[in-house]
Amino acid sequence: MKTKFKINDSIIVDDRVSTSHCRTPSYIRGKEGIVERVCGEFPNPEEIALSYDNPSIIPLYRCRFKQAHVWKNYKGSNIDTLELEIYEHWLKKK
Amino acid sequence: MSKIYKKMGPHDVGGENSIPIDLNDPEMTHWEKYANALRIVVSSKRIITLDELRYHTEKLGDAYFEIGYFERNCLSLHNICLNKNIYGQELFNEVKLKKVAEFDVPKIDLPDPKKIEHLHDGVPHSHEQSDFQEDETGEGPPDYYFDTLAIAEIMISKGLITKEDIAQKIDQFDNVFPNRGKTVVARAWSDQNFRKYLIKDAKSAISDIGIKLETFADVICMPQSPQTHHIVVCTLCSCYPRTLLGMPPSWYKSRSYRSRVVHEPRKVLAEFGTIVPENKEIKVHDSNADMRYLILPPRPSNTDGWNEDQLSKIVERDYLVGVRLPD
Repeated sequence: MKTKFKINDSIIVDDRVSTSHCRTPSYIRGKEGIVERVCGEFPNPEEIALSYDNPSIIPLYRCRFKQAHVWKNYKGSNIDTLELEIYEHWLKKK
Repeated sequence: MSKIYKKMGPHDVGGENSIPIDLNDPEMTHWEKYANALRIVVSSKRIITLDELRYHTEKLGDAYFEIGYFERNCLSLHNICLNKNIYGQELFNEVKLKKVAEFDVPKIDLPDPKKIEHLHDGVPHSHEQSDFQEDETGEGPPDYYFDTLAIAEIMISKGLITKEDIAQKIDQFDNVFPNRGKTVVARAWSDQNFRKYLIKDAKSAISDIGIKLETFADVICMPQSPQTHHIVVCTLCSCYPRTLLGMPPSWYKSRSYRSRVVHEPRKVLAEFGTIVPENKEIKVHDSNADMRYLILPPRPSNTDGWNEDQLSKIVERDYLVGVRLPD
């Protein structure tokens, strides 16, 4: 499996707008984090949703974000974190 | 560009301000179980994929939050069937009418359950109202149930699925899936090596004790610890380890839980009676793609010498989602 990122790499989630089905929630776009683990390769959900016969197989990562960086007015503790899965084409090197 | 324009649709709720969570989790009706089973059978056979179903649900627009969860699923399933020429509207209408007619039985006067008296082992025995299950509203099934029946009948007649597939899925959701997570946790509480394996590679560890999960997704186990509190949500839909925990409770699928957990987890946890101190990290897992999450609660201290069967009986679903901890 050829992956662009490895564990602990600093990443930034692309801030682009999507118009179709996509698994990158809007609240995490443009946010900085690190790669928590490489999950493996999975068919691209954006293509499966549109009934593609042969969707491309792409790497999926679990990424970790500091809550205080995700939300401007985060009222919890500074040590709180958020983790979610992001497909490679939504990630950029920081 | 302001945040609002980036939202993909009505389903993309993470970070919204919302109302307190309704913690009621009413028992599913038969039509909800049927609709759920059909959807799972169809997606596990890859007749229609989960992402196609999600996409067509998201496209419902304003109707998304105006109709219920199962009705939404049913409508998107129907739209995809039309799109993929699994059937045409005409055939669907015809079969649906037949299904409605089959259900249209004449009303009869039922006896008052409280007055039913009969013999049990030769002893007269009368029943209480509470011995009988009744529909709260006294109304028949909702319209979407007939849609679901029609979709199922057409798919069965085309050989895509069988009647038994649906019956088996309903049975698994009632009797098999809700117990698996409890069995796994009881084993992890009893066996340190299994616990380590579960945390390293949950799907393989679970398979090793004879539980073959009927899911394409991978499973990740996160152990609760004195330093970190884990909690799971799916902000985009209702991703949940169904083959390990059964159906997600109503609140897990609710807009308020989904929108709030990611940005105010302490407040949400407090609504479940779980107070997490400021110096303990809260880690929120937004289950949004191909992983499913099992939270491993700490073993209660007063359980020394208990066997796995005894332990599994005190494992509660809420612990495994991370909204509560054992006392």
